[in-house]
Amino acid sequence: MSEARRRPALSHLVFWFLFSQGGVITALLLPVHVLIQGILGPLGIVPVVDRHYDTWVNVIGNPLVKLYLLVLIMFAFFHFAHRLRYFLMDLGVHAAKTLPAQAIFYGGAVAVTLVAVWILLTTAPLSFG
Amino acid sequence: MTTEAPAAPREFAWRMPGNWWTRTRHYFLYMLREFTAVPMALWLIWLLYEIKRAGSGPHGYYPRSSTAFVVFSVIVLGFVLYHSYTFLKLAGVIIRVKLFDRPVPSQVIVVTMFGSWALASAVVGFVLIWFAR
Amino acid sequence: MPDKRIEIKATRYDPATDEKPHLQSYDIPFYDESMVVLDALNHIKSHVDGSLSYRWSCRMGICGSCGMMVNGTPKLTCNAFLRDYWPRAIIVEPLNNFPIIRDLVIDMEDFMRKLKSIKPWIIRKQELPLGAGEHYQTNEQIDDFRQFSECINCMLCYAACPVYGLNNEFLGPAATALARRYNLDSRDQGLKERLPVIADPEGVWECSFVGECSVVCPKGVDPAKAIQQTKLDTTMRFVLPYGNRD
Repeated sequence: MSEARRRPALSHLVFWFLFSQGGVITALLLPVHVLIQGILGPLGIVPVVDRHYDTWVNVIGNPLVKLYLLVLIMFAFFHFAHRLRYFLMDLGVHAAKTLPAQAIFYGGAVAVTLVAVWILLTTAPLSFG
Repeated sequence: MTTEAPAAPREFAWRMPGNWWTRTRHYFLYMLREFTAVPMALWLIWLLYEIKRAGSGPHGYYPRSSTAFVVFSVIVLGFVLYHSYTFLKLAGVIIRVKLFDRPVPSQVIVVTMFGSWALASAVVGFVLIWFAR
Repeated sequence: MPDKRIEIKATRYDPATDEKPHLQSYDIPFYDESMVVLDALNHIKSHVDGSLSYRWSCRMGICGSCGMMVNGTPKLTCNAFLRDYWPRAIIVEPLNNFPIIRDLVIDMEDFMRKLKSIKPWIIRKQELPLGAGEHYQTNEQIDDFRQFSECINCMLCYAACPVYGLNNEFLGPAATALARRYNLDSRDQGLKERLPVIADPEGVWECSFVGECSVVCPKGVDPAKAIQQTKLDTTMRFVLPYGNRD
């Protein structure tokens, strides 16, 4: 491990930044979605927008909602990708440190983001209702 | 096993045991915290799928109501809450803010984080319920 | 009244004859409630088995020499009271995550190298001329880095860190806390020189905030906090155009 090889790792900096922002975003926003859309809604305890086709389409047609969902998905999946890669490293999978592993995990997050973009653009036409 | 002594004294190398994270409660809770990414990712993939299914028209769309799905969400909620609690609490350690040249105590930052969580939940919850009328 | 006794199981490893380390059991008198594990080791060496090897010096928690695993937890043996374990046996092993030289003595060369790599001294771009006098520093400026200057280099944090245990290249808690101590020192202008080591892929980015380093630190240095704050400061430095650049 020579002195000459040491240099600031910009890629790791970016990964960490996206991971930490994603952590905050998921920490703040995910619980209420899971509680309401995953538990209270299906049990019929409260009315929820995704229980009926017309209310759901109305809400996800709104461009602000589309933007919100995109930001949520993008940062969340970068957070998950980073955490999962380090989780594997903690389990002793040294391959998770390598460049191909980084490409797979962060590339995966990019892929999910692109899928989300496609879904949000092609589902429920833009409406300001 | 050889009876011949080695030529030079040799150190005994360290080898990390594969089950290191089962050895203390703190290590186990750490791995649990890291693992929360898996259920959270699965639930968000479900949400994306719910959005996509809205594109199949009013006849094709039906909201998930099965017991299995609710059980899944309850389990995910447990992991999500654990993530939120640990992440926001630790954010107080990281963030260093100075107000009028005096450092803000980390407890204040943590309280602000949890306050933001409550506010964000209230806003999002309102939108999810209000527009379902 | 029968004498109180306690069992100490200590790791023995003779590189000349042993294939691997093994525990050896010693039954010793527990004659004083103030006895610590270090006292027990000294008793063994003086009266039972003179071949037992271990490091120690000040016996009062300031030199950082006597760090060992006590029942699986990294501790200063001068700070581990027998009364907290009695009547159970106490297992004393060399610090985790380091190669063993002999018995309870570990090879600390990697740690020393890492400390040196972050240049733990005041770096100036421009030295103050002698006539200008000393660098003035307010108490508030010292408070900025005071906590991180408390490190006694005992290596308990490295023994506690699973990332270091899995990957020996990781810079580690104490070295990063020390780097931050100098980067936050108002007299220092060396952040740019330390950055290549701190922000290297084996630097702060390897840390996944387990936090065990801060739990075991006998001096309250909180190296976990130092590392996370370093990650944030380094990121802001690159993200903000007029961020804290020298």
